[in-house]
Amino acid sequence: MKAVTLVIALLAIALAAGCGTKKGFEKPGFAFGCPVGESKISSMEDLVKAKVAKEGSKSPDVEIEEIRCTTTGDLMKIDVVVHNDESDVERLQYKFRWMDAEGMRAADEESWKPLLLYGNSRQTVTTIAPNAKARDFKFIFMGQE
Amino acid sequence: MTSTSFALFRLPSVLVLATALALTACGGPKTKYGDAGSVETVTNQFGSTDLQMLAEQMSQSMLSEAPVISSGNLPIVTVQEVKNKTSEYIDTRAITNRMRATLQKSRKVRFATDQAEMQKQIDEIQRQQSEYYDQNKSTEVGKMVGAGFRVSGEITSIVKEDKNIKDVYYQLFLSMTNIQTGIEEWSDTKEIRKTTEK
Repeated sequence: MKAVTLVIALLAIALAAGCGTKKGFEKPGFAFGCPVGESKISSMEDLVKAKVAKEGSKSPDVEIEEIRCTTTGDLMKIDVVVHNDESDVERLQYKFRWMDAEGMRAADEESWKPLLLYGNSRQTVTTIAPNAKARDFKFIFMGQE
Repeated sequence: MTSTSFALFRLPSVLVLATALALTACGGPKTKYGDAGSVETVTNQFGSTDLQMLAEQMSQSMLSEAPVISSGNLPIVTVQEVKNKTSEYIDTRAITNRMRATLQKSRKVRFATDQAEMQKQIDEIQRQQSEYYDQNKSTEVGKMVGAGFRVSGEITSIVKEDKNIKDVYYQLFLSMTNIQTGIEEWSDTKEIRKTTEK
């Protein structure tokens, strides 16, 4: 009986610690490791809305599923998961736009990079900030002309 | 000649001039400025998008994966030749120049004078040793700093073609070696595949 109580108590502590850590991991002004400033980001969907922009007239039929950020040294590292849930191949182009802490451009505009997504597939686009001044970003994509 | 007859006399030449102008405007070549960073797919030969993509991806790999750079020690690097082993003309120096600019702006790497620039460097030092210069303000001989690391590599391609399709595959390989120890500190390959249906 004592052992059962002990196991239950341990489980409760572990659960509480787990729930507590999720919030504890995030620094204020960050969501999923990504800088969000004053914006209220409570889900991955909110983060994607805040960090992704479509440009051009040809909109590819893909979904940006996840964005996660971390740092390597003093440079921001980003993973963006792009999902093509249609059976056709999708061709898009993307780039990142980097801003400093004041919202000014932290680097030159990147060139567009082509990306091919097979039908019903996911690809993770990874990048690293061009310099330590780059404190925020936008993932920009559009269909290939 | 009255003013009316003068106007009638001039009319054909005015018409010729107007027609010439109209033809030039309609049929002549049109030039527009474009986006230097746009995806270029004019042919499947090595193009601007390939150059930009390879340079950017390699710079990012060096920044994140090369321990001597990501540790923030500000290593001094020299860029050696990147051999072009493809069947087409590729200015590999354009790739490494772009990488150099990106890495320098990151303030994580410093670049020493490489072999291609060495003669210009020597010429300038020697020029400053001449009698025309104030020797107290001139660059001294023997003060250049040698690199601790060297970057070199090669670009290769595989081309396959039949009557309907042409497939080109490029691979850029780069490595960074510690000059003192000979230990390779970082290496990476980046690939591009382009297919053209005829």
